[in-house]
Amino acid sequence: MNSQLANYRESDWFGPLLITVAAIVIVSVFNPEFLSPYNLQILLLAIAVNALIALSQMMIIAIGQMNLSVGAIGGLAAISFGGMMEVWLIPWPVAALLALGIGLFAGIANGVLVAWTGISAFVITLASLSIFKGINLGITEAQPFYKIPEIVKLLGNETFLGPLPWLILPTVVVAVGLWYLLSFLPLGRFILAVGGNAHSAELSGISVAKTVVAAHAISGLLAAMAGIMLVGRLQLGQPTIGDDWLILSFAAPVIGGAVLTGGKVSVAGTLLGVTIVVIINQVLVLFNIDPFLVQVVLGGLILWAVGVNRWREVRAQKTEKRLAA
Amino acid sequence: MNNTTKAADRTADAFGPDVQETSSQHPAMRLLLTNEFGLIALILVFAVLFTLLNPGFVSKFSLFAMGRTAAVNIMIGFSMMVVIITGGLNLSVGSIGVCAAMAAGWLMQSLGLPWYLSLVGGLGVGGALGALNGIVIVRSGLHSFIITLASMSIFFGVMIFLTHAGSFREIAPEVVAPGRMKFFGVISPLLLITFVVAGLLSVLFRFTATGRQMLAVGASPQAAELSGIRVQRMTVWCHALSGVLAGVAGLMLVSRTGAAIPSMAGQLGQDWLLPAFLGPVLGGTLLTGGRASVLGTLLGAFLVTMLTTGLLLLQIAAFWVQTYLGLLLLVAVLMDLLRRSYLARKKLV
Repeated sequence: MNSQLANYRESDWFGPLLITVAAIVIVSVFNPEFLSPYNLQILLLAIAVNALIALSQMMIIAIGQMNLSVGAIGGLAAISFGGMMEVWLIPWPVAALLALGIGLFAGIANGVLVAWTGISAFVITLASLSIFKGINLGITEAQPFYKIPEIVKLLGNETFLGPLPWLILPTVVVAVGLWYLLSFLPLGRFILAVGGNAHSAELSGISVAKTVVAAHAISGLLAAMAGIMLVGRLQLGQPTIGDDWLILSFAAPVIGGAVLTGGKVSVAGTLLGVTIVVIINQVLVLFNIDPFLVQVVLGGLILWAVGVNRWREVRAQKTEKRLAA
Repeated sequence: MNNTTKAADRTADAFGPDVQETSSQHPAMRLLLTNEFGLIALILVFAVLFTLLNPGFVSKFSLFAMGRTAAVNIMIGFSMMVVIITGGLNLSVGSIGVCAAMAAGWLMQSLGLPWYLSLVGGLGVGGALGALNGIVIVRSGLHSFIITLASMSIFFGVMIFLTHAGSFREIAPEVVAPGRMKFFGVISPLLLITFVVAGLLSVLFRFTATGRQMLAVGASPQAAELSGIRVQRMTVWCHALSGVLAGVAGLMLVSRTGAAIPSMAGQLGQDWLLPAFLGPVLGGTLLTGGRASVLGTLLGAFLVTMLTTGLLLLQIAAFWVQTYLGLLLLVAVLMDLLRRSYLARKKLV
């Protein structure tokens, strides 16, 4: 019984879970409004979109790389979704599928370039960030698409049960799907193996190139999904969607215990990371604290999280050494 | 042992193509294969092309404006370059640049300090923030990517919080004047400042022990450590230098616009990221560290500025400029890859 508890304590999601619960309790004591159905709905809406952004980055962290273009892909998918409905009068489910396709294609392009050239993902995705954002501005000329169908606006804001918004459904499906992928499916194990050590993965017969492309494809798809959902949420296809995703996309996975050199990520941890970030955002609003401080808090959270992860790593190495000796 | 020779090779690279001579190659051939030569050729080709398409491209005002913009872009490139040579990167260049500019603005407007002290104060803030990055990186042993990602958010957030997102518009005339002045009708004093800094950086990396130690640290930290170089101290110095250079770029923008504005580098200073990497990467600075090309960075950033100006002047691409710059970065790294594999095949390196 005791050892089981110790196991939980060692797991990645235990710390973030403790913080999440503590934060909810403390905030709701100071301000009971925090747990009102309306506020919960707002919280869940924010979590639904931000979780996809974080999971999109998490898949690239899993292979030990980084994707600076998550926001640019999301923005491009968002304005394509809005534009196709407004200009070409395409029905919304078809437009959503096509926009997802754009995200998937953008991700595959990233992955193929990284795998084929061997140039660092940082440079490739910095270039593609600029290309995708440029296409976005070229199409929209910085003007939003306003004519979003009512049904999309409804799905983006309404609830289907109590405080549960429609938008939470795709996020739940994605989160469960990714957890299953990373825990049980060969592709997921390949992704983690490549992130852990690309060389030994290659030697054990895994195609590193294909795995890298697959991870980038999933990342692009999830970023596009987040962009499309934001169009419903904001009720317009805004060209600035995705501009401020970068920090959050790294903060949530590292709070959830992801190791930036790859091979170790946690879907549950990342979701808790997103929840912590969203709660902090809300608290700053509820208690009338300067919203500009959000940036400082987010940056501080990243430093704190990587610091904790690093400390655990060092401690694990020490224990290993002691056991070996 | 192997590491040490590799480090020596890489550092030798920094001293230009004429240092390593092997019998199988023609010196002229080597010159043609350098990044710098390729960039000069590209600059000439595009200059002729743009002039033919629109003679206004070489008008006095256009040349002046281009030089002034290039001055800032080159400085941003230098700011990233001095960190790249250590094998790291600095995402917070934009954030630091804006913080330095805002600090100088505050010293001038709110404290009423003389302009020269305010500028020194601004540069000091830039250097201190850069050094802070460096210290956290070497103390934690974490990669500079994640540390500077976090600090970019923190620096910018604190700056916005302190200034309440307001601008400082009472800038001393001595500071604003160089942004407006023209020598011979075409040369901006800002460009001259950039050339002076470029000269100083060249001297640093070619002739001083500190500069060579910085390059050695980037080429191989272990080998550098074994040869008695204080690797951690050098890394911190590089980050501090990057902060100062980002501060210079920020102050140049203040001089040009006549105000210190929090949004001058975009959200969290992200707008500087692309120019910051374009210059050094086009100029042939290795992202893995150990090699710096001051001239290459200068030419690379100039090429980028020229392309942007040309595309805007032709009025075909106002909103598409960012796409072209992204494609340029992609083409540049691919060309570099091809060049490298060509050199390796012909055993020229």
